[in-house]
Amino acid sequence: MPLKNVYFIPMIIVPLVFVTILWYGIAWNLYLSVTSYSVYNPRFEFVGFKTYEDLFKFRGGEFVIAIVNTIIWAALLVLLGNLVGLLIATAIFQFESSKIRSGLISFFIYPLAISLVASGVIWRWLFDSIKGFNVYLTKLGLSEIQWLSGYNALWSLIGVSVWIYGGFIALLYLAAFYNIPRDVIDSALVDGADALTLMVKIVIPHSKLGLLLGTIFSLLFALQMFDLPYSVLFTNPFTMTIVIYMYNMFAYMIVNISAAACIFLIAMSAVIVIPYATYGIRKWILKVI
Amino acid sequence: MKFKLNIVVAVVILAVVGIFWVIPLYALLVGSIKSLADTMSSPLLDLPRELDLGTIARAFNLLAGTMVNTAIITIPAAFIAVTVGSIAAFGIYLKGGKVADYLPPLIAITTYIPYQALIVPLITLIRWIEEATGRLIVLYDTNYGLFLVFLLYYTPMATLLMFIFTNNLPREVIEAALVDGLKPMTAYRRIALPLLSPGYVAALIFILINMWNNFFIPLSMTRGYEKHVTLKIFSYVGQAGTIYNEMFAAALIGSLPPLIIFILMGRYFVRGLLAFTGGGR
Repeated sequence: MPLKNVYFIPMIIVPLVFVTILWYGIAWNLYLSVTSYSVYNPRFEFVGFKTYEDLFKFRGGEFVIAIVNTIIWAALLVLLGNLVGLLIATAIFQFESSKIRSGLISFFIYPLAISLVASGVIWRWLFDSIKGFNVYLTKLGLSEIQWLSGYNALWSLIGVSVWIYGGFIALLYLAAFYNIPRDVIDSALVDGADALTLMVKIVIPHSKLGLLLGTIFSLLFALQMFDLPYSVLFTNPFTMTIVIYMYNMFAYMIVNISAAACIFLIAMSAVIVIPYATYGIRKWILKVI
Repeated sequence: MKFKLNIVVAVVILAVVGIFWVIPLYALLVGSIKSLADTMSSPLLDLPRELDLGTIARAFNLLAGTMVNTAIITIPAAFIAVTVGSIAAFGIYLKGGKVADYLPPLIAITTYIPYQALIVPLITLIRWIEEATGRLIVLYDTNYGLFLVFLLYYTPMATLLMFIFTNNLPREVIEAALVDGLKPMTAYRRIALPLLSPGYVAALIFILINMWNNFFIPLSMTRGYEKHVTLKIFSYVGQAGTIYNEMFAAALIGSLPPLIIFILMGRYFVRGLLAFTGGGR
């Protein structure tokens, strides 16, 4: 017996209005991005794709740098995040006690419980050339590393993002491990498989969902990257991401360029989000189709 | 007892990888209790020569007002978002059919699209509302504005999280109660909510911690650094020099509420995190 609309609509009206506002925001972005509206020219004149041409030329092509940085960030976060996550999950999975398992995974997830700004403050100092890691590298007889200069800053902050999301990705793998039918594991054990064989031949191949979700969410987190690079290095071009660029243009009130950058970001995200939200969740997670 | 090589290897891996998880936390704690002299002379990871709680006390005094303000905004916002979201999720669950097929994906898309991308239209809308009401309603740089924008962004997310949990409700029991003439909202309060309470708590904690840690929304929505705790922590970064103890103490104090919630109720946060991916029932 389906719910009558007279009851249903009041129950969903608030989230529905909010979702509509947010979708309207996307449409509004699209509209702004084809106008000339900015602090230089505060009129809504239709200029079509000219804004997008300007976007790539503006301030010496800074947006291209932001796209390249974001893509590098996404690729490395997917790669390293999955590696670190799989490593942590595999190690945690060796323990049989569920208390030990959940304690360990919580420990690796704690970076998600503190703000990215606080993490930024800590890591900015760990990377400090006088007071940070370098002191200890020198003591060990190793050469110093300029963690935050030039492109090193990008690599360092990508490393920090692996630290932030690695535990979360490990959790996704661990959840996938737990979903492997017990008899699959038991029959391998009966056949005399050792722990390594069990992981490599049985557990990890059965955990494609972990890889899939780890990849999807690494991509999404990389596309949204803002707090961390902004709180450590502000608008440094070496760690400029699409969101920093977009925020920067917004702060300078160059609205149309900012909106065009938004549309770019939304389009890039949509490639991942729309298939996942419309098909992936129901197929792989809710298992209703 | 059999010698378990895999456990030994696991411990070694976790120790080697885990050191990167220990160092920042250790640096934060040690850095916060260093005296000024220690901070000037000693590197980050050295133990303090003397315990100085003055830095933490000063940071607490400087952050207390902002933290209270953040709590005043985020706690009600998180409660309302999750309550509204759970009612909506329950409604979608009861409605079933095409609505339950199409609405959750739409809500999921809204949740996963980078929310930062909507800041330009949002600020434009806020300016328009302020002008249309003759500045009777002021949303930019006010607590109300922050509260509303948090609600706007997080209610769809809360609906998605709660939909994961409502999906597991016993349909026969609830439908039998509705056939007996129970109103849907009464069914929500008497039957669904008690069964949903672990999911409700998971969503609440996940969203509360996310609101507390959000930086982009307060940065775009307010002037200065006083209204939200992440802005206050951020305001320290701009200060030049080599005095890290003040910054660390501020970061520590500002991170304590979510950290304490996480330590006490970590498994709910983890459930919320899994629900955020669309799974983990």
